[in-house]
Amino acid sequence: MKGVLTVFRREFRAVFNSPVAWGLIVAFLLFTASWLYFVTGFYAAGMADLSAYFGLMPVVLAFVVPALTMRSWAEEARLGTAELLLTLPLGEVELVVGKFLASFAVVAIAVLLGLPVPLMAGLLGSFDPGILLGQYLGVLLVAAAATAIGQWVSSRARNQVSAFLAGTLLLLLLLVLIDRISAFAGAGGLLASLLNWLSLSRHWQGFGRGVLDSRDLAYYLAVTFFFLYLTAWTLGRRKWS
Amino acid sequence: MIEVKELRKSYDRTEAVKGVSFSVERGQVVGLLGPNGAGKTTIMKILTGYHFPSSGEALVDGVDVTEDPVAVKRRIGYLPESAPLYPDLSPAEYLDFVAEARGLEGEARKRAIEKAVAACSLGPVFNKPVEELSKGYRQRLGLAQAILHDPDILILDEPTTGLDPNQILEIRSLIRDLGKEKTVILSTHILQEVEAVCSRVLILNEGLIAAQGTAEEIGQALKGEERVGFRLRGRRQGLDRAALEAALARLPRFGALRSLSEERGSWSVDISLSGTETAEAGELVFDWAVSEGLALLELLPHKLSLEEIFVKLTTEGARS
Repeated sequence: MKGVLTVFRREFRAVFNSPVAWGLIVAFLLFTASWLYFVTGFYAAGMADLSAYFGLMPVVLAFVVPALTMRSWAEEARLGTAELLLTLPLGEVELVVGKFLASFAVVAIAVLLGLPVPLMAGLLGSFDPGILLGQYLGVLLVAAAATAIGQWVSSRARNQVSAFLAGTLLLLLLLVLIDRISAFAGAGGLLASLLNWLSLSRHWQGFGRGVLDSRDLAYYLAVTFFFLYLTAWTLGRRKWS
Repeated sequence: MIEVKELRKSYDRTEAVKGVSFSVERGQVVGLLGPNGAGKTTIMKILTGYHFPSSGEALVDGVDVTEDPVAVKRRIGYLPESAPLYPDLSPAEYLDFVAEARGLEGEARKRAIEKAVAACSLGPVFNKPVEELSKGYRQRLGLAQAILHDPDILILDEPTTGLDPNQILEIRSLIRDLGKEKTVILSTHILQEVEAVCSRVLILNEGLIAAQGTAEEIGQALKGEERVGFRLRGRRQGLDRAALEAALARLPRFGALRSLSEERGSWSVDISLSGTETAEAGELVFDWAVSEGLALLELLPHKLSLEEIFVKLTTEGARS
């Protein structure tokens, strides 16, 4: 598993070697913070409620995560370096996990850099720290699942642009649109409950209320592992095609 | 060291390799020669574990590439057709990454990098970003990456493409040096390269081995006959065409007269011999000339050049 660390270091540095990462982090912080102050009217509401701030996170992640993961395999394929990586004595799983951890670390840094926003708001009123913790845990779990999905999309895409577009669409579908669709499908029906189960953001709602349900935790971990496995499988499968 | 048995590989509907078998011993430099699309790259991708065969086996040191690809990858240094470089890394950072991935640590890593950099003359660009490197330096960096961990087996896919003539000579002499201790498989469509570097040739055409052996062996197997040209003069006066033809008929293993011409008393003769023992041809002609009382002025056994062989094999293959 030493290979994971090697790949992680290479990937993590590659992200910060390009201006994209810095741009993304700044954009992420500016957007979420200004959303809180200007759009949700945090001050006007006069309530120390940050649910609107965190409610926006899934949509922001649907754009930010694919922008980070788009390069992970599509760019290696374009540069021809996929052939290097896959002929080094590293297993597919090591490559996939190393890349995943690097992308996830960048997303986590962006999310955690946003921490002063709720903390400063917290000075104004009294927050339940448990809820704040739950919300952050929830965001990170959603981000992990989204990163795994983004990397898988990149492993199937021909280039970075299509990896970004397909990744964003898929994540918007799983994070936002699926809830709208299930609302149409009618409550209680089999289809609606299936869609609800698939929805990446529905499992997160508990965290937002500060409720830590082990089933939701397991759900996110399962989605993350499933897509990491799927990516490794995609890479392995390619040898036979 | 490397053994390939009945290897086949299909991509979608096209069959790139259609049942290839060969083996390579330690210390051989084997050239895979063939026109584009002959299956050279596919065979290399299979040997390096990048692709798996559709059927058949590829063994490296007795290890099946599909069973333990990581073990195989550890023993092999591989330079793909286009050098797989990261534009954002300098050669120093790039080689450091590859060395780390290959499990080289500390002092050993430092030494390995120094050695590869010296062998590929990368010193002047060691800390420049790859983006700024010329094609020649990029190719050499790719090669440095392949030899970094001092592998027993080197697989080089067209190692001299994009280099200028001086660089080509440098890389060839590097490969020849490496070939003294290592097993090298390289692909090329440049015939001189095979003649300059390889101890053995595999000529591939349309996914099949059209011929294999040393360049001379292939040439002979292909001809099934030997050609000899010589120039001679009669010791006595009055050697004419008829007399010479009669004398030639007495030459052992005489096959056919290909050309005969006279210029100021000396005759240029070009004949083919039946049978395939090369070593004897010169001796045979010499002894015959002596016994016929002819003075031999020049003797040239013809070899089919690799170029002729290549054209003959690959175009005949295409016709059939």
